[in-house]
Amino acid sequence: MNELKIEDLTCYRGDNLVLKDLNTKLKSGDSLVIRGSNGSGKTTLLRVLSNFIKSYNGKILFNDHNVLEDANYRNCFNFVGQKNSLKDNLSVKNNLKLWEIVYKKNIPYSKLLDDFNISHLMERDVASLSDGQKKCISLLRLNFTESKIWYLDEPFVFLDEENSQILIEKIKNFNNNNGIVIITSNINLHNTFTNEINI
Amino acid sequence: MFALLKRDLYLALYSSSSFFYTSSFFVLILIILPFLFGTNDVQLQILFKGIIWIGLSLSILLTMERIFNADYEDGNLDIILQQNPSIEIVIISKYITHWIVYCLPLFIVLPMLSFLFYVSLDNIFLIFLNLFFGSFGMVFIVTFVSALTLGAKRTIFLKAIIVIPLFIPFLIFGTNLESWPILLALSMMSFVLSMYVSAYGLRLYVE
Repeated sequence: MNELKIEDLTCYRGDNLVLKDLNTKLKSGDSLVIRGSNGSGKTTLLRVLSNFIKSYNGKILFNDHNVLEDANYRNCFNFVGQKNSLKDNLSVKNNLKLWEIVYKKNIPYSKLLDDFNISHLMERDVASLSDGQKKCISLLRLNFTESKIWYLDEPFVFLDEENSQILIEKIKNFNNNNGIVIITSNINLHNTFTNEINI
Repeated sequence: MFALLKRDLYLALYSSSSFFYTSSFFVLILIILPFLFGTNDVQLQILFKGIIWIGLSLSILLTMERIFNADYEDGNLDIILQQNPSIEIVIISKYITHWIVYCLPLFIVLPMLSFLFYVSLDNIFLIFLNLFFGSFGMVFIVTFVSALTLGAKRTIFLKAIIVIPLFIPFLIFGTNLESWPILLALSMMSFVLSMYVSAYGLRLYVE
């Protein structure tokens, strides 16, 4: 059983107070949707949780270890940000190859792409794909790690209804396998994920 | 580190033009010379020693956007930094790949070009040594400027204004055929400065 605890988290970006006294606790199988207007600090929160931003007040504990001091924490989560992490001048296949090298994990590409029913895009250049197709490929990074937490920054942007449903199923499957998911979103996901906070 | 090295080399291989851009640019700059200054062999030999450094400087300068900026803009830098706990290792890996991809091809075309400019075999070896030790220092310099200006868009002119004065010592000593130990020392100093400043730049980005 894993537990992620955020205690009195306060974060400034320059002189601006972005996050103030945030408290929450998530256990294996939990999902949390973070809602808020543009610039309210949703992405900052995910970057703090991903240990990219290290200057903040308060504590983030994963299984009672402070994430700033836990060297293994970086292997425990997968962060998918708003940028797609794709090289436009390369084919989908070559982009997957680059991820395979960085994540040190081999997965058959056709099986990966089948997740979103996009195996026909394998040889296409990323530059020729739609934003939605790029987003689907970007989300395939979730398969490259055996992480316990997913941090997803606006994952439903550009996705059509069918692919949004596929992603929701993936998140629920991950939850059922004891994964913790934190999603930032501007759209209302209240009917899908009941645990929601506004910042 | 090896995974990142492998990834960057694969990236260069997939964008196969990377290997050819700098060497073609380098060759073109040298080819222009006889048109400007005639084909007098003594004159060409003197010019050659200087112009290869101009060619090398411009080739390295033009490719500096690819060190960190390309990965920053498409989001890959987040993955790289998450997968590699040490920023210093990321920086060293970038030095190596940038040198292999953008400087090594120059060394492959250099002997052929030297003969075209009537440079003697002994001199070719010394020019080679100078360029070899100097090119590392120049890569260290563009790496830290690239890291410091990460995220700043359309700043190639600003970067050039920062980088070119820092290249001047390399150009001064590079044209002297027996100054490779000085170039080696300059490169070592650049390495120390570059490691510190690049790490600072990347930490600023991450924060």
